[in-house]
Amino acid sequence: MEAGFPILWLSVIAPMLVGLAAWADRGRRIRVYAVASMASLSLPMLYVAYYAVRGALAEGVLDPLYYDATGYGIGYIALALDALSAPVVFGVSLVTAFVALYSVPYMEVRVRELAEAGEPHPSLGVYFMLYNMFAAAMLGLALSTNLVLFYLFLELTLVPSFLLIAYYGYGDRRRIALLYFVWTHVGAAVLLAGIVYYGLTLGTFDYLTVPGLEPVIAEGALASAARVVAGLMLVGLLVKMAVAGLHMWLPYAHAEAPTPISALLSPNLIGLAGYAIARFVAAGFPGVMEGWRDFLVGLGIVTIIYGGLVALRQADFKRFLAYSSVSQMGYILAGVASMTKLGLAGAMLFYLSHAIGKAILFMVAGVFIASLHGLRDLGRMGGLARLYPRTAALSLFGFMHLVGMPPSFGFWAELLVILGLARVYALTLDGAVLLATALILALGVSAAYSFVVMRKIFFGRPRVEGAAEPGQLVAPILAIAVAGFTLFLAAPMLVEPLSYSSFLAAVEASLGG
Amino acid sequence: MVDPTLIWGIPYLGAGALALLWLAGVRREAVYAWGSVASILASAVLSTLVASRVFSGGEPVYVVYEWIPSIGVNVGTYVDGLGAVMALVVSWLSLLIALYSVEYMRGDWGQPRYFFFFTFFVGSMLLLVLADNLVLLFIGWEGTGLASYALIGHWYTDEEKYWVGVPGRRALGVPMYFEPSHSGLRAILFTRVGDVGMLLGMAVIYTLTGTFSIPVIAERAPEWMTALAAADALAAVLLIFTLGALAKSAQFPFHEWLVTAMTGPTPVSALIHAATMVKAGVYFMLRFTPIFYEGALASGVETVVSQAHLYFVTVAGLGALTAFMTATMALVNNEFKLILAFSTASQLGYMFMAAGAAGALVSFGGGVAAGLTAGLSHLVSHAVFKAALFLVAGWAIHAAHSRFIDDMGSFARHMKVTAVAMWLSGLSLAGVPPFSGFFSKELTLKAAEEAHLSWAYALGVVTAGVTAAYTLRVILRVFHLPPYNRREAHLHEAPPLMLVPYTILAVAALALGVGWGSVEGFLARAVGLTLAVGEAEVPGLKLAAAATVVGLSLASMAVVALLYLVARVDFRRIVESSRPARVLHDFLFDRWYINSIIYIVVVGGFAGWVAAAAAVDAAVDWFYHAGLVSAFAAASMAFRRLHRGRPDYYLALYVYMIGLVLLFAYLAWG
Repeated sequence: MEAGFPILWLSVIAPMLVGLAAWADRGRRIRVYAVASMASLSLPMLYVAYYAVRGALAEGVLDPLYYDATGYGIGYIALALDALSAPVVFGVSLVTAFVALYSVPYMEVRVRELAEAGEPHPSLGVYFMLYNMFAAAMLGLALSTNLVLFYLFLELTLVPSFLLIAYYGYGDRRRIALLYFVWTHVGAAVLLAGIVYYGLTLGTFDYLTVPGLEPVIAEGALASAARVVAGLMLVGLLVKMAVAGLHMWLPYAHAEAPTPISALLSPNLIGLAGYAIARFVAAGFPGVMEGWRDFLVGLGIVTIIYGGLVALRQADFKRFLAYSSVSQMGYILAGVASMTKLGLAGAMLFYLSHAIGKAILFMVAGVFIASLHGLRDLGRMGGLARLYPRTAALSLFGFMHLVGMPPSFGFWAELLVILGLARVYALTLDGAVLLATALILALGVSAAYSFVVMRKIFFGRPRVEGAAEPGQLVAPILAIAVAGFTLFLAAPMLVEPLSYSSFLAAVEASLGG
Repeated sequence: MVDPTLIWGIPYLGAGALALLWLAGVRREAVYAWGSVASILASAVLSTLVASRVFSGGEPVYVVYEWIPSIGVNVGTYVDGLGAVMALVVSWLSLLIALYSVEYMRGDWGQPRYFFFFTFFVGSMLLLVLADNLVLLFIGWEGTGLASYALIGHWYTDEEKYWVGVPGRRALGVPMYFEPSHSGLRAILFTRVGDVGMLLGMAVIYTLTGTFSIPVIAERAPEWMTALAAADALAAVLLIFTLGALAKSAQFPFHEWLVTAMTGPTPVSALIHAATMVKAGVYFMLRFTPIFYEGALASGVETVVSQAHLYFVTVAGLGALTAFMTATMALVNNEFKLILAFSTASQLGYMFMAAGAAGALVSFGGGVAAGLTAGLSHLVSHAVFKAALFLVAGWAIHAAHSRFIDDMGSFARHMKVTAVAMWLSGLSLAGVPPFSGFFSKELTLKAAEEAHLSWAYALGVVTAGVTAAYTLRVILRVFHLPPYNRREAHLHEAPPLMLVPYTILAVAALALGVGWGSVEGFLARAVGLTLAVGEAEVPGLKLAAAATVVGLSLASMAVVALLYLVARVDFRRIVESSRPARVLHDFLFDRWYINSIIYIVVVGGFAGWVAAAAAVDAAVDWFYHAGLVSAFAAASMAFRRLHRGRPDYYLALYVYMIGLVLLFAYLAWG
C-alpha cells in the first residue's frame, strides 16, 4: 500500500534538520536538541508499530513521494517499509533515539576531558549534527528501494561517523578514523563495482519494484555475469559487515569511537550490511546464493566461533564488545545464507536483538568510562554489581540478548535462525550431528564469553571504591532494556509480517527446491 | 472455572511487581518476602483447583491464547495427569520453602534480588510443566536456568564462607574449590550446552511437523519418526533433543554443575537443585517417553522401533551410571550439602533409568505406563524427602557456622525435632520400608528389570546399598557422634518458620509411604491421564526382589553403624596411614577426577583455541595493517625507481615499450 503521508521521508529528514539547528545554535540549549533528536528519531518506531497493527507490513508500505527516474536508467527514487526492513528500521530508531539522550551526559564529560587535555573539541552542536546525519542516513539505508539511493545513504553514514571518531574518539583517534574510512571504503568500492554492473545491465538500479515492492530477481537478466555481480556485492558487504578475515578495521573503530557512537556503529551500521545481503543479494541472486550456501553458512559459523574466541582474549571492555559484534554478525550471515524464509526472517530479528543487546552493553561500558575515570580495563574491574546494581542487571539482560535467552527478544531471533538452518541441514544423520556440533560450539562460545565477562566485571570482591551510579546515563539504558522485554512479548508485531511477507514469499518461490 | 494460565502467570506477575518495586527504590524486606509468598500461595491454590478438575473430570484442562500463530507458538496451558502432579509438587513445595526463606534470608543484603529470582523461578518452573508447546516449555526451561544461575551466585562477592569444596585442594592440578560466581558460571554453561541440543531437536521436529504443539507432535509421531528413521537419524535426533534434559538433571557427563551449585543459599538448593528444577529433565522424559513409545509402535516400522529402543537404552544407561557414580562420591564427602547434592544426582539417575526402561519396553511390548508411574513416584517422593533433608542441612550449617560435617556432631542433643525430621527423611532416602522412598525406588528397579536392562538393574541395586550407607553415615556424624573439630557454638532448635516446613516434609515422607497403596494408585491414575499414555497401570512391587534390595540396604546400614558406633573406626587415620585407602578416598572425594578431566580437556582445550584464535587475529591484523602497507610502500618505491630523471634511461624504456607494443600488435593481427 501507499502511505497517506510522506512519513518515511519525514523520518529521514527531520533528524537532519534538528541536527542542523543544533549546529547553527553552536552547542547552546543542547538538552533541548537532544530531546528533539530523540523525538524525531523515535518516529520510525511508531510507524513500524502502526503499520504492523494495520497489517500493512506483509505487503509493504511505499512512501507517496517518489521520483520516476527510469528515463535516466536509474529506476525509482523511493522509500518503502516492509516486513524485512521493519526490524531493522525499528532497531535503528530505538537505539539512535535513546543514545541521543545518553549522549548529553556522556559527551559533556568527553568534551571536558578533551578541553583539559588541550585538544580541539568541536561543540556539542557539531556532535548532534553529525550524530543525527549518521542516524538518519542509517534509516535511509534501510528504507531505500534503489541501489543509487542505497549507495548515497551508505556514503552519508560514512562521513559523519568518520568525523565523529576523528573529533571525539579515544586513543590514536585520527589514525583510527582514517583506517575506518579507508577499509569501509574498500568495501564500498567493491560493492559499487557490483552496483554499476547491475544497473547498467538491467537498465534500472531498483531492487524493489515501485509501486509493487516485489523483489527484482536479477540473476536471469545478468546471465553468466550474475555470479560476478553477486560476488562483488557480497564481498563489499562482507567487509562492511566485518565477517571473520575481513574484520580488521572493526575492533579499532568500535573500541576507540566515542562510546555513544560505538553503540551505533557496532550493532546498527555493520548489521545493515547483513540486511543488504538479504535484501538484494539473496533476493536478487537466489540461485547463486543457494550454490554458495554451504560456504556462507560455514563462514557464518566460523565467524561466530572466531569472534567469540578472540573476544575472550580482550582486556579492554570496548574491544571485547567489538569482537563480540564480529561474532554476532556470524549469526546474521548464517541466517541469511541458509536461504530459507525462516532463516532470512531470523537474521532480520537478529539485527534488532543484537542492536538492543549491544547498545545496552556499549552504554554500560560508557557508564564506567564516564563515572570511573575512563575505566575500561576488564582486569581492573570486579565486584561492580555491588556499586552498580542497576547497571549489573541491565548488563545481564544485554548479554541475554546476545545469547538468545528468554525473556529477551534475542530468543526469537536465535530460534528462527536455528529453524532455518535445521530445515536445510538437520534431516540426515550426518547433517544433524554436524549441525548440532556446530551450534553447540557457536552458541556455547557466545554464552561463554558473555557470562565469563559478566563475572569478570560485576562479581567477585569489589575492587573500586564508592562511586554513585549515574542516573542520567542509566535511564536511557533502562529504556532500551524495557524495549527488549516488550518486544519479546510483542514479537508477533514483527514475526507475523515476516511470515506473511510477500517479499520473502517471492524469494522462496524463486528458489530451486 | 479457573484459568490454568494463572498458575504460572501469577508468580510471573509477582516477580515483575517485585522488580518494579526494586527499581522504584523500595527496600523493605517484608514487601519482598511476603509478596513472593503471596503470589506462590495463590498459584498453589489454583493448581490444586485445576488438578482436582483434571482428576474428577478425567480429561486434561487445556486453554490456549494466540501469540505468534504463524510459527505455531501460542500461550497454551495443558494440564493433564502428569502436568497436574508436577504443578502440585512444584507449587506447594515452593510455598513451604518460600516460608523457610523468609526467615533464612532475613537481613541478607541481596534479599530483594533473592525473592525476585525465587518467584521468577516458580513461574518458570510451572510454565515448564504446563506448557502445551515446545517453545513455551523452552521459555520456562531457560527461565529456571536463569534463576538458578542468579541464585547459585547469589553471594557473588565470593567470600570464602560461601564456597564449596576444601579451599586449596587440587585434583590433577585443577582447583577443587569454587566461589559462588564461578559455580553460577558453571551451571549456566553446562546446561547451555544441553539446551542448544534441545533447541535443535525442537527445530527438527518443527521442520517435519510444522508445529510446536506437543499434543499435535504426539499425534503425528509415527510420521515424523518414520521420516527420521528412514534417514537413520532417529536415535541421534532424539538424543540431541534430550541433551537439554540430561544437562538440566545433572546426568553424566553433565552432573558436575549440580555439585558446585551448592554455593547458593540452602533453600535454593532445596527447591531448585533438589526438589524441582533438576526434575525438569525427568519431567521431559516422562512427557516424551510415551510419545516416542506410542509413535514407534504405531509406525509399525521395524527401524523406528529399533532406533527408539537404542535411544531409550542409552538414556537408561546414562541414568544408571550416574546413579552409581555419584552415590559413591557421596560416601566420602565431608560437606553436608555436597553429600546431598551427590545424592540428588544419584536419585535423578534412578528416575532416568525408570523412564528409559519404560520406553525400552517398546521392543518387548507390555505398556509404558508402569515404568512411567515408577519414575513419577520416585520424582514425587524424592522431591519431598530431599527438600526436607536440605532444609535440615540449612539449619545445621547455620547452627555450626560451617558447611563441613567435621564441624558438626551430637546435634540430636540440642535439636530433637530436627533430628527426628532428619531420621524420617533420611530413612526415606535410604529406601527403608515403610517410607515413600522405599516404594518408589523399588518401582524404578522393577522397571529396569522388566525392560531386560540387567546391568542397569545391577547398578541400581548396588547403588541402593551405597545410598543407605552414606545416608546413615551423615545422620550419625551430624546428629549422634561427637564432632571431629570441636568448636564454640550455641546450638538450639530452629525458629518455627524454618522448623515447621521441614517437619511437615519429613512427616509427609513417612505418611506417603504408610499410605502408599493409595498414593501409588493416584500416581498411576495421573500417568493414565497423561498425553499419549493409553491406560493406567498400577505397577506393584515384586516382594522377593524388594526384600533382597531392602536386605542389602539394611545390611550396609548395619555395617556403617557397626563401624561408627561399635568399632569406633577413625576413617581419617586410615586414609592418612594406608596408601590404597588414600587412593580410593581421593578418587571418590575428587569426584572420579571427572571435574579435573573436564577442566583439562574441555576448558584447557578451549583456552588453547582462544590463544590460537588470538594468534590468528594478530596475523590478520599484521597482514592488513603492516604486511599490506609495506607491500604497497615497496611497490611504490619500485615504481618510483623508474622515474629518476635520466634521459638515457627514459629513452631505453621508450624503445623497449614500443617494441612490446609492436609485438602485441603483431600477435593480435597475426
